Parts: sequence; structure tokens; C-alpha cells
Amino acid sequence: MAAILSIQDLVKVYPGGTRAVDHVSLEIQRGEFVVLIGLSGSGKSSLLRSINRLVEPTSGRIVFDGIDVTQARGADLRRIRRRIGMIFQQFNLVRRSSVLSNTLAGRLGYRPLWRTFVSRPSRDDVAMAFENLGRVGIPDKAFARADALSGGQQQRVGIARALMQRPDLMLADEPVASLDPATSHSVMKYLEEINKKDGITVICSLHFLSLARRYGTRVVALKAGKVAFDGKPADIDERRFKEIYGEDAVEVEIGPERSRAQPMSATEALLQVEADAAAHIVGIPDR
Amino acid sequence: MAEYFVARGLPVPRELERSPLTDWRRLSLIAGAILVFYVGLRITDPDLSRANPAYAASVVAQLFQWDTSILTPQNEFETFWDTAEGQMIATIFLGIVATGFSILVAIPLSFLGARNIMSGHPITSGIYVAVRFVFTVIRSIDVLIVVIVCGVALGIGTAAGVIGLAFHNVGVLGKLYSEAIEGIDAGPLEAITTTGANRLQVVWTAVLPQIVNPYISFTIYRLDANVRLAPILGYVGGGGIGILLFQSIQLLNYHAAGLIIFMIVVTVAAMDFASAQIRRRLI
Repeated sequence: MAAILSIQDLVKVYPGGTRAVDHVSLEIQRGEFVVLIGLSGSGKSSLLRSINRLVEPTSGRIVFDGIDVTQARGADLRRIRRRIGMIFQQFNLVRRSSVLSNTLAGRLGYRPLWRTFVSRPSRDDVAMAFENLGRVGIPDKAFARADALSGGQQQRVGIARALMQRPDLMLADEPVASLDPATSHSVMKYLEEINKKDGITVICSLHFLSLARRYGTRVVALKAGKVAFDGKPADIDERRFKEIYGEDAVEVEIGPERSRAQPMSATEALLQVEADAAAHIVGIPDR
Repeated sequence: MAEYFVARGLPVPRELERSPLTDWRRLSLIAGAILVFYVGLRITDPDLSRANPAYAASVVAQLFQWDTSILTPQNEFETFWDTAEGQMIATIFLGIVATGFSILVAIPLSFLGARNIMSGHPITSGIYVAVRFVFTVIRSIDVLIVVIVCGVALGIGTAAGVIGLAFHNVGVLGKLYSEAIEGIDAGPLEAITTTGANRLQVVWTAVLPQIVNPYISFTIYRLDANVRLAPILGYVGGGGIGILLFQSIQLLNYHAAGLIIFMIVVTVAAMDFASAQIRRRLI
């Protein structure tokens, strides 16, 4: 299979002199679910944002499906961008607009300018918006204001908006970092579904190794802007973990996924914690 | 106060020992302020020797004995719009029309004067700096001065008032609008950019919904201020009820002047109340 994304010797140095991405080269195959891990400030965000040029790379090349992203300008760049969906930690919805118009915004790259100005989306776009809102389970919220939704629901609108682009690649910049554990799993499952069912390649940065193990088909760890690990999630043992996160790090568990969002009883919770502690390398740190 | 540090053998922070009542910096600041006030008083030399309390009292008394004839046409050539209440209404609309013109100019300019919209390219950054500089220059010229200049250029009358007031407000509203754009959440801009939207689509979709409320709020604030200001403009050649007030006082017709002042006070108070109500309901 041909690589859908090829990152070649990418460097990003910010004006202050911070070397966020330091000679990173990656080949990402169609259909992969790549999880980016690493400490805050290790360059995950800069790497993700370089792919759709929200961040301007300092040097190196990014080739998306045979097209050089780093050389693209104007309309060419916008044509590449509309094939790359992105969701964000802070959801980045237009809070005062309705869920429906937020979702329809995903179609802007395909829409003539006059339709934007007169707020007249085509019938097909509206039908598609409802279809995508249905996929993420919130079609009934279409006419609510975006800021009336819970965090998990807002992120699902974010996913629906990205799906409107009919993307080949989905970038997710810490999509669950602002969500509670149960909601995190539900959002990650939607990403898993679009990866498996629609064959959309996903590159997702995460803070929790347990989520990376559960959802990723491949884990790339960044440390100070360099690739510190690239391989199967199962291959990250304690030694590798300490290499990535530093000697003092202790792995933190993000609660197990549950089919129901109902709260557990205290005993149930205790048993669950014990079971998890046994199943994972390290338990919850006492600090 | 210092026991905590003494008990632990730590140096006592100097801030703890400083008393606000004996702090020399504070005392010298107060002394300086008093000195400036005293010197200023000597230079300006307000002279009350020519004051005539008895005459002043009679004028104040006349201000409350209203000459209601100004509420009706004075002769067969005058219409309703020449009466005091007609002039008052015209003056309110003078403020509204001036605000309207300034909105029309300030809204497009405000996008050019917003750093977050214009950054990223040397040419657009240059436009940003130029637009903000123009806003500052316009605001630094007082409305009364602008209206006087307009009165010279366009002739005394409402044209000078409307255009002078509108000109000044382009500077004020432009700055307020630009800052509203600069204060928006940048996240949606980023998200809409990634969908492949162009710059205009990004502004339309991600910026507009976020600035509607601040724009309405700032507009009502300026509308309120302009309607309050409008009655004075006649004094410097801007037309409206100010001319009537000016003439009455020049003719020593304090009975008429008193009624006009009362009408202005009522208008301003009503405007104040109305704008507070509208803004409260909006926010």
C-alpha cells in the first residue's frame, strides 16, 4: 500500500528559537490509526499542525497522497486542507452558532462563496450534515446553540464537521484531553469507527498511554521534537515508557471503558480499580 | 507579623515592615499632587471679584420661568420644525444619522484594523498599522473642533454637525469594533481554516457570529453618547437645538433658554435610561 502521508525531515523552529519539531521523518500508510504520545511541549501539536499548514514548517517536506503540501499555495492548499479533517482539544466550535451551521462549516471548502454569504447551504449539504450528526448520535441537537452542549457532545459536533469534508486523513489534537474518562472513550470510539468503517487514516495525539494501547494500531512517541519510539502499542514496556516520559514518570490509568455511563457503586469501583491495577504495569501514583 | 519568619530564622521580608502611612514614595506622591494643584491654581488665577450673586440669582430664577411661546411657530413663516420641540426631535435624529454614517464606514475599516485578521503578511500588517493610526488621529481631535472645521468648510448648519460627529465616531467605533474582533476566540478560526475555507469564508463563518453582540453593544453606547452630544453642536455651528439655545442666551432671553435646557435634560435622561435597558437585555 502506498503511504498516504510522508513526512520527510520536518523541522519547525518558532521565532523564539524553540525547536518544536526536530528532523522528524514518518511514513503513514492508508488506514492506520497512529497515536502520537509525548510530554506536553514535545512537539505533537506542531507536528500535527504542520501537516495541514496551520503551522508553517521551517524545513522539510510533507507529501499527502502524492501532493507536496509544503509547496502548496492559495487554492491548491485549500484543496488539500479540505481532504484533511481536524478535531481539537477545545473543540473549536463557533459557540454562538447552531450545531447545524457548525457542522455545515465543514463543507466550506466545497462551497461557492455566495452560498456562505447568503447562508443558503445546498439541500445535499444539509442532508449530509444530518447524516453525520446522526452518526455521532446527536441529530436531535442540530438546532441547539453549540455552547449549550456538553463537552463530549461538542467534540462529536467537531467530528461531524470534519466528516463533512469527506476526508482521507483525520488529525486529532488531544481530542479527549478536556473530557472525563467515560466521555473520552465514547469520543475515541467514534474515531475508531471512522477509521475502521470509512477507512479514514487517523493521526491522534493523546496523553494517556492506556487510550493509545486500546485504540492505536501504531504509536509514535515524540521527545523534544524527535521520534523516540515508533512501533506497535504493545511494544511499549516500562523501560520504553521511562525513555519517553522520563525516569520519574509513573503511568496513570484513565478509567476503564464501560458500556453504560451509569456511576458504579463504591464496591464495584474498588473491585474495578484492583482489577485494573493487576492488569496494568503500574498503578495510580500516590502523589 | 514578622513572627513567622523570626521563629524560623528567616530574613523578614521588607514588605512586612513597610507601613503605608510612612512610606516615603506614597507621601511624596501625595505632596507632588498637592503641589501641582497649587501651582495650577496660581497660574489659572480664578477671579471671582466680578461675580454678581444678585444678578446670577435673578437669571437662575428666569431659567425656571419658562417662555412657552417657543413651543409654537412664532410667525406665519415658521413650521413645526422651527419650534423648540421640533428642533429637539431634529437634533436627536442628527445624532442618530451621524451614528449611522459612522457605522457604515467603521465596520469595514474595523476588519482592516484587527491584528488577528491582518497579521501573517507584510502588506496586510502594514494596512493594520495604518488603519489603527488613522483611528487614533481621528479620535484625538475633539468633536467640537471637528464640527467647527466642518462648519467653516460646509457652512454652518446640520451638514457640519452630522459630518463632523460622524467623522469623530469613525475613529471611536473603529477602535472599539477592531478590539472586539481582536478579542474573539481564535479556535474556531483555526478550525474553519482547516476545512479548506478561504479567508472571506473564515471571517464570515467564524468571526461574524462572535462579534455581533459586542458590535451592537458598542453601537448603542455611541448612539447614546452622540444624542447627548448633539444639542451642544449647535453652539459651534453644527445645527440643531443648540442654535436656539445659543440665540436665546445671546438675546438674554433666559426664559426660553431655561425651557430648552430642561428639554435637553429630559432627552438625555430618557436616552440614558433607554440605552441602559437595551444593553442590559442584550448582555
